[in-house]
Amino acid sequence: MTSAVKIKNLHKSFGSLKVLRGIDLDVAQGEVVCILGASGSGKSTLLRCINQLSIPDEGTVYINGDPIGNLLSETGELKKANQTTLASQRSRIGYVFQQFNLWPHRTVLGNVIEALKIVKKMNNADAEKIAIDRITEVGLLDWKDEYPDTLSGGQQQRVAIARMLAMEPEVMLFDEPTSALDPERVGEVIEVMKELAEKGHTMIIATHELNFGRDTADRAIFIDEGVIVEQASAQEFFSHPKSERLQSFLKRMSM
Amino acid sequence: MEFEFRFDIVWNNLPLLLEGVQTTILLSLLTMVLGTIIGLFVAIVRLRVRKIFALPLVVYVEVFRGTPGLIQIVWIYYCLPILTGLQLDALTSLVIAMALNVGSYLSEVFRAGIQGVSRGHIEAAAAVGFKPGQIIRRVIVPQAAYRMIPAIGNVFVSAIKLSSLCSVLGMAELMYQGQIIIANFFRPIEVFTVVAVIYLIMAYTTSLFMMYLEWKFAWIRRKKVPFWQKFKQISKTSFQIKPQGNL
Repeated sequence: MTSAVKIKNLHKSFGSLKVLRGIDLDVAQGEVVCILGASGSGKSTLLRCINQLSIPDEGTVYINGDPIGNLLSETGELKKANQTTLASQRSRIGYVFQQFNLWPHRTVLGNVIEALKIVKKMNNADAEKIAIDRITEVGLLDWKDEYPDTLSGGQQQRVAIARMLAMEPEVMLFDEPTSALDPERVGEVIEVMKELAEKGHTMIIATHELNFGRDTADRAIFIDEGVIVEQASAQEFFSHPKSERLQSFLKRMSM
Repeated sequence: MEFEFRFDIVWNNLPLLLEGVQTTILLSLLTMVLGTIIGLFVAIVRLRVRKIFALPLVVYVEVFRGTPGLIQIVWIYYCLPILTGLQLDALTSLVIAMALNVGSYLSEVFRAGIQGVSRGHIEAAAAVGFKPGQIIRRVIVPQAAYRMIPAIGNVFVSAIKLSSLCSVLGMAELMYQGQIIIANFFRPIEVFTVVAVIYLIMAYTTSLFMMYLEWKFAWIRRKKVPFWQKFKQISKTSFQIKPQGNL
């Protein structure tokens, strides 16, 4: 079976700063992978490179065998994809942002419907049916006609998750989804993500929530200075960290 | 000796002024339309090309914002035919001059409005699979347009007043007609007062129209109030000095 996500030798620099220095990663179908690392270690950049919000300098990302941002030519060579192809490839990858990034000029329902209508070309009735289901799933049906700025951070992030779910992505990427939330709002978002994990979605999650990683993830990965320092099953990772860097990181985080 | 106001002279010559109003409206509208096109073009090009290629446009904007409108109008009216050999009628060359002036201001309004749209909202659209054109239409334009309307209104109101400079070149617009009446009856105070009121009416009508657009575009409308109520609200709050939050 092909991996849901396959990352090969990914490099990315911003100016002289090398953020990713050769990342290789395979994520199986339905696997939940949790990425840990200090701020600036390259977690976000790795996720952004997967759906090409940041274009990697080197290396390729495959989603279910298809190279993202590229096309396989008949001779088996990779060719850079045009914007239209890239857009349709991106629609197969769900992305949840740290800052939610809901569109302020659309209601909750409008935010979830938008991509169904514009990208999937559904008619209003079909799109609304799916959107309502997804909004119900994150528990915000009563808020469907509100504008994002009237919602709390936790609610906004749940809407953002509903917006992603509506597109039925093959892989879901979460870029520190709870880092911008008030502490008492973190739980409601974690709850929704746990449910998604139980339903067997393929998820890659950059997070600082150690407990969530321990309870929910199948595998945990520690990134430092742009390389994967250590990876293991979540159980092993948190209870028996091998490298010194991870040990001191976990110690710092749990203080 | 007491001064006696002679507004009857103005009323007697009102048809003359109203003829001028027609020309002023024509000049202003053409200027606004052409100026908007120029402004949009300049703003988009400046945002899309490298800095070095945008340099001529930067020079254009700075020159037209930084020199008196009167000189621009006179210069284009007399020098454009000399330099290009193009023979333009008065209306065309005046509209071109004013549109270049208005366009330089509008291009900055548009540029700021487009740049003001959060990077995150654009990335969110890209992440769900919007194509670049769809991002522009569905995310950038609705947000930028709403925020730019008050600033565009400012520029449009100045455009109306700018058109009064065309009187210098003999264009028979409102200001010119007023000066004709003054020359005949030596009553500058009365005539200028009425002319000013007419300008005010045109400017305020423009403001009202922009307010209407703002209401129409307002995407954060918790309760959909009718426009006249909104108008009452705006006129009440516009005299209070406080940070403006969401409407």
